[in-house]
Amino acid sequence: MSVPIFPIPMWEQSLTLFGVITTGTIVICAGALAYFRRVRMDRPPVGTFNARDVVILLIFIGILPFVYGWLPDTLVTCLLAVTFASALYIGYRPLLGSVGIWLGIGLLFGFNIWSSHHLMGTIPGWQLWYTEQSIMVGLSAIAVCNLYLQGGMKLRHVAWLSLGLAGYDVLFASYYPLTGELIARYITHPLTPVVGMRFGEVDYAVGLGDLLVYSLFFVAAYKAYGARAAKIAAAVIVVMGGFATAFIPFLFNFSNANLDILIPAQSLFGPVAFLTYLWMKRHYGRERTMAEYLASQDDTAAAPRVEQAPAPQPASI
Amino acid sequence: MFETGVRQFRLALGMTQGRRLDPGNVVRLVDDVLATLAEFGEPGKDAGELIDGPMADPTARLEVANRSLRRTARRLAAQSPFYARRFTSANANPAKIDVAGLRAIPVTVKADLMERPGDFRCTDVPAYLATRTTGTTGRPAEVWLSRYEMELWPALGALASVLRGELGPGDVMQVNLSSRGAVAMHLSATSCRLAGAGCRPLGIVPPEAALDSLAQGGATILLTVPSYLAELVAAARRAGMGADDFRLRRLVVGGEVLSASLARAATRTFGVPHVDDPYSMTEVVPVSGRTCSQAHQHHDLNLGLTELVDLDTGEPAAPGALGTLVITPYFPYRDCTPVFRYDTRDVARCLPDGPLRCELAGIPATSQILGKADQLLRLPGGEVVTPRQLIEAIESLPAEPWPARYRATICDGTGRDGRIRLTLPTSAIAGYGEAEAGRHFAAAGLDVDLEIVGNDQAASLRRTRSDMHETTFASQHALVGA
Repeated sequence: MSVPIFPIPMWEQSLTLFGVITTGTIVICAGALAYFRRVRMDRPPVGTFNARDVVILLIFIGILPFVYGWLPDTLVTCLLAVTFASALYIGYRPLLGSVGIWLGIGLLFGFNIWSSHHLMGTIPGWQLWYTEQSIMVGLSAIAVCNLYLQGGMKLRHVAWLSLGLAGYDVLFASYYPLTGELIARYITHPLTPVVGMRFGEVDYAVGLGDLLVYSLFFVAAYKAYGARAAKIAAAVIVVMGGFATAFIPFLFNFSNANLDILIPAQSLFGPVAFLTYLWMKRHYGRERTMAEYLASQDDTAAAPRVEQAPAPQPASI
Repeated sequence: MFETGVRQFRLALGMTQGRRLDPGNVVRLVDDVLATLAEFGEPGKDAGELIDGPMADPTARLEVANRSLRRTARRLAAQSPFYARRFTSANANPAKIDVAGLRAIPVTVKADLMERPGDFRCTDVPAYLATRTTGTTGRPAEVWLSRYEMELWPALGALASVLRGELGPGDVMQVNLSSRGAVAMHLSATSCRLAGAGCRPLGIVPPEAALDSLAQGGATILLTVPSYLAELVAAARRAGMGADDFRLRRLVVGGEVLSASLARAATRTFGVPHVDDPYSMTEVVPVSGRTCSQAHQHHDLNLGLTELVDLDTGEPAAPGALGTLVITPYFPYRDCTPVFRYDTRDVARCLPDGPLRCELAGIPATSQILGKADQLLRLPGGEVVTPRQLIEAIESLPAEPWPARYRATICDGTGRDGRIRLTLPTSAIAGYGEAEAGRHFAAAGLDVDLEIVGNDQAASLRRTRSDMHETTFASQHALVGA
């Protein structure tokens, strides 16, 4: 006879996970939208996000797990440090200045690395680690979301990216469980790319990639069609990204032997996000460009704009 | 966006290493700019540096110039029979040429190009298209161009124009240049195509036909020469047309001196804020210059080297002195019939020492072009009168005699030696009187003896590019089908 392997009922875990995902998603989506409305990132003189960039992103995302799986943990941590530092620097230098941003990155990284080695023995220790971890990951997601969207990424691109990631998730979470193995191997290391919390004996977390796609979909819908579309996008995120993702284990009671449950969230969210985009396109018409969005903002002129220092010298022609 | 970065990197690498650029890469960059404009409405910050290069630092500027000169000279020594001989006779090592030592190499003059055109052709590239100079100063010179040049130049031109907002989707450019100017026509049409704009190459047709086309055809950009612009302004006034009849947003002229009075009249008539007066010349294409709001001529640093050489000494012109523009287009921008230290005989004045305060202050400048060196009047006291001085004074007469038709010589053996004898048609001083006209010229600093001739002699006094009229069936009065 099988022995229950979970300390609390599955429905309670699903509910807690739903709470964690929803909280993380709401905070990051709201943060990304606030940033999008108030801060103008510097952009290169020429270039806008296009369909080929989506393909390049998907290829990059497809290759990355193999690279992470192949590299020793120390090098993975270094890669993650470079990734997070870049995202935080690009995103928050306009707000904090050069000294402030490096100080902030140093504090976030320093505490994260220290806590990864010294706070893991107790539940409050885990919770403190998760809190700090979530702040860093959330800030990075907000920055990258705005980097893409303010660089010209459209809802169309986000929808295709979501659809591509749905296939990716099915492949790498279900048939070729590389993602699960990576998480199981790396979860206690510094700079783990998840937002989460530990309650009792169980970790509840959502990955940076998922949060990034949710925030992209939400803010891109707002940019493309306005607040009403953003609300529809938010509903899709909460239902498919939060509720369905959290309650799939409860509904189907699937698990693996390591007590870790990896739910391929994008495989649930991606197709619905894509269909939602198609509906919006049919219903609302052409997406607004960034220029049209800015022109539509009555308070654009009044909003404080933070200018970034000049980018590196481009090529002359 | 990733691809755009790669394209920019490829372009920068090609320029730095001095290899032939891929015109297709530049064309795709133009598409990227158009996509950027469609999404954001404007390019990102630092777009100016993308076009003009990070050339504000004089040391970096000199380094780029030295490297580009050596690269160009090395190729010419190997591929151009004329310059192989020239470098040898000047005892110049192409690999060691620099800006400071450039004066050791004699300038190339138009006569060289006309006498031995074949010797200028590089042997490593097939010729594709021949173009001739207008010949307003005498015999025309023939310049052969390669297919690479004819693909690269419009791509670079479109890239710069689109980034600066000078040309873009929705624009229609009407080109009233001589239809024989195959290269100018080709460059205009191709640049428009790449920028998503329309192009209407009309030629020097009767001004009324051009006006109809401007007004009814919805042209937003007019490219022409100052003398034809003068004819258009006059024709528009005759027809009672004004700014409301046109959709023009830019007026671009070149090839002749544009006077301030004509520019003012054109802006009022066509409803544009100002007239752009860039500098270019067939022999040194694609090197060009731009005028700023303070009437400086700013010379392109990326595609070639422009020297201002004293007319008498051949040394660099001192501040305040007149000089002739000597231009060296760099490889890989000039390919088939390149020239090295080409003396354009276009005269400009060296600006006083000190930093510039205009919007193009980062780019070195001279005064506006003042005319051709061969048309300067040297007065006995050493004073030099330039064609621009004369044209400005004539075209600001109350009769507005555009384009200025005049002949100016130094009085000799008439008892009034050393004064300027200025011959004008009657229409130039209509309603003004000779005495009043004399005072007008004196106020402009010109002490002239006026000679007034009949209007029928006007065209023979001074040839302009607008004299190369092209007829149309509509302009013929008696065409009978046979």
